Amino acid sequence: MADPLRALLALCCLALLTVSAAAAPLDRAAFAADLCGDGAAQVRGAEGLVQAAGDLPADDLAFAGGLLGALAERRLSCPADGAVLLDRPGAPEGRDARTGAVRPAAEARAPILGLRQRAAVETARGTVALLTGPDPAARSAGLAVLERRIATVPASVLDRARDAETDAALKATIAGLAQAAALSSPDPARRRVAIAAVAASPSGAAEARLAALKSDPAYAADPAFRAALDAGLAKVSRAVAIGDGLAVVYNGLSFASILFMAAAGLAIIFGLMGVINLAQGEFIMLGAYATYGVQEAFRRLAPGLLDLYLLAAIPVAFGAVALVGITVEALILRHLYRRPLMSLLATWAVSLFLVNLVRVTVGTQNLQFVMPAYVSGGVPLYADFVMTWNRLFAIAFAAATLVLTLLILRRTPLGLDIRAVTQNRDMAACLGLPTRRVDRLAFGLGSGLAGLAGVALCPIYSVNPGMGSGFIVDSFMVVVLGGVGSLLGTLVAALGVGGANVLIEPISGAVAAKVIVLVGIILFLQRRPEGLFAVRRRR
Amino acid sequence: MSGAAQTALAAPAGPARRAVRDPLVAALVGLCLAAAAGLLVAPPAPYLVNALGQLAAFAILAVSLDLVWGYLGILSLGHGLFFAIGGYVCAMHLLAHGVAATGVLPDFVQFMGWTRLPAYWAGLDHAAYAFVLALAVAGLVAFVFGLASFRSRVNGVYFSIISQALVYVAMLLMYRNDTGLGGNNGMTGFPLLFGWPMGSPGVVTGLAVAALLTLAAVLAGTRLLVGSAVGRRMLACRDDETRLRTLGYSTTRLKLGIWCLSAMIAALAGILYVPQVGIINPRVLAPDLSIEIAVWVAIGGLGRLGGAVIGAILVNGLKFWLSAAMPEAWPFILSGLVLVVVLVLPNGLLDLVDWRPRPTWLRGAR
Repeated sequence: MADPLRALLALCCLALLTVSAAAAPLDRAAFAADLCGDGAAQVRGAEGLVQAAGDLPADDLAFAGGLLGALAERRLSCPADGAVLLDRPGAPEGRDARTGAVRPAAEARAPILGLRQRAAVETARGTVALLTGPDPAARSAGLAVLERRIATVPASVLDRARDAETDAALKATIAGLAQAAALSSPDPARRRVAIAAVAASPSGAAEARLAALKSDPAYAADPAFRAALDAGLAKVSRAVAIGDGLAVVYNGLSFASILFMAAAGLAIIFGLMGVINLAQGEFIMLGAYATYGVQEAFRRLAPGLLDLYLLAAIPVAFGAVALVGITVEALILRHLYRRPLMSLLATWAVSLFLVNLVRVTVGTQNLQFVMPAYVSGGVPLYADFVMTWNRLFAIAFAAATLVLTLLILRRTPLGLDIRAVTQNRDMAACLGLPTRRVDRLAFGLGSGLAGLAGVALCPIYSVNPGMGSGFIVDSFMVVVLGGVGSLLGTLVAALGVGGANVLIEPISGAVAAKVIVLVGIILFLQRRPEGLFAVRRRR
Repeated sequence: MSGAAQTALAAPAGPARRAVRDPLVAALVGLCLAAAAGLLVAPPAPYLVNALGQLAAFAILAVSLDLVWGYLGILSLGHGLFFAIGGYVCAMHLLAHGVAATGVLPDFVQFMGWTRLPAYWAGLDHAAYAFVLALAVAGLVAFVFGLASFRSRVNGVYFSIISQALVYVAMLLMYRNDTGLGGNNGMTGFPLLFGWPMGSPGVVTGLAVAALLTLAAVLAGTRLLVGSAVGRRMLACRDDETRLRTLGYSTTRLKLGIWCLSAMIAALAGILYVPQVGIINPRVLAPDLSIEIAVWVAIGGLGRLGGAVIGAILVNGLKFWLSAAMPEAWPFILSGLVLVVVLVLPNGLLDLVDWRPRPTWLRGAR
């Protein structure tokens, strides 16, 4: 019965103490006298203010800030009974610091700030600016001053500033600084708490900060400190490793999405007609340029809706590139179906033509895209892993494309025709299917998919006339690996190639990763020339 | 190999006998010899001599591709790899020769922080060893890649794509500085050739003459090959591989042999090319360049050795001229040329002058 009562009492006392501490006002007269005194007094006053600032009321801080500013700018005048703030150095009269009344200051002493005192006064001014600054710029300037002498700043100041801060970026900076200050604080208990706090929000930077503490003398001297540090470090390292793993998976997934988008159209065209479309990379480029065109149209006609251009570009890019593809098919490829190797050269010529056409008409420079809110930035999910919206856009886009393409191939009359012609062209023709028209539509579909890939690439890659050539070898490898004419095979192959690339990259570098993956595919194809998922053809 | 099939194939039928007497190839060989003699007697301006020598090197490269594409139906989009092997080994020889003569290390070796040439450069300052090494490496790479591909019956466009990936991989590798052959800058600054200073008129003329004579020899040799029984087997393999295999011929061995020969001819072209331009860098491994070789062959006339030579010389001559005169227009002209040839002249420009009836395998293709 007595124990809870005592605890309650103790709690009350503690609360009272805290309240009284928070309410303790500044002894304004003593503070003014300190600043008017000799160098030692000035330092004492400034440092005392910094120590107490975390608990001072705002009007006291404003008062102290005014005095400190006047001292630093030589606008402080010290008659025998107090302090007078002048408007400018050497003015004949000013306002009394405490009452605000106008007083003559001509014959009074004007204290000069020595070099050694200046640092203490600047720190005090920075503290006041951080706590009472009217805008984030003023507060951040105050913080910059404090940063130089962070060891002398008490935790209460930084905590108060952090809790009151409204600007998110500044708040994060203050929090980081508070943590760093706590880690290097002379109080062992406070350091252990700080270590635990750092370990609670793991990141690569936190790991480096904790690892640096290992060389601290306390690590060897203080077993409690060492235990806390080791535990914290282990926790952070594990979390960072998991976060990095997640980032690898995420990057692999987004790379695979791009590969899939680039290869899906190829797979359909190759599977159906046996035509290697070397211009597919340039179709992707055209899709990106169509997106740019939509953005410019929005900028001219509906600047208010500019953020929506990326979504509006989806149908436009699909339609425009599909049209280009159908034109190429009708003019050129139609004549070459029995000569696949020649159609390969013809599509190479088309790609050369398109690249240079764009180069001459639009220019070779990278296009500048406005990044709408939904594809810029990201959310930090775990440790260092940030889920960036632009990559998520590409992943979601690829998933939607996959579903739609599968629906078209499996559930529409056109899809049925495409599958029939892919399996047995002659039989399909005998049954009355217009195979040539199916070819043309399928080529349009495949080209349109490349156009969509172009849209998805805009937020991630740099868009220029030569961008297509970077995809062509990779996406062909994906098509061949997946098995010709199998969209699911293309998907699996894209995931495999994308994942393998991202997995090998940290071990042996980007180029070596590409080389290893390509050699792996070449070797795999020696074992299974038909690829992973071969469509059974009837002959 | 069954005896009956061999006699059937060996007996020269009408077209085959005509193939042995190929007036176009004979004319081209004669032209090469005449040009070589002309260069020796009255050399024109050095840049013209140099251009002629480069054209001859490209023509050799085109012949090497025509041999596998036109006569075996294997389109390699990776022939730049073998060309580059020849070129790189030649450049290594020239640098090693320079080091042996002057003692000054090449720039990129100093850049890598090495104090002497790596061990695998040993002996490369001997021209004969370097020559053999270049052909051997090209042949070996071709053998490994060809064996793996032909045994698992990778052919048609599959082979084309995979060979393109091969050259692309090689390009990525060579772009790395760590690979040790000059990285993205490649190798240049060759001081000497057989002890003579590089770039002197005599060396330029000598290189061009060597290239022209090699072209003549390669043309004559490949002509003899495709006119022989092996050549007829090649055509049979191109037109219907399954049937030839069923008849008891090892098409894998046939394809592999010709493929390696073609790779070595391409390496020969690289060996002749590098001292003439004075530089080799990974750009010769770009997939685009390898496709361009196929374009020369297609434009000149696929399946006829003379056509490959004419295509290579025509396209590269135009390129030399136009990429200086109107660089913007050249890609459009090239792509237009390819489309016209592919759509209208399936046998290349030789269709314009109807030297002989179209081969049966292309009949009805359009």
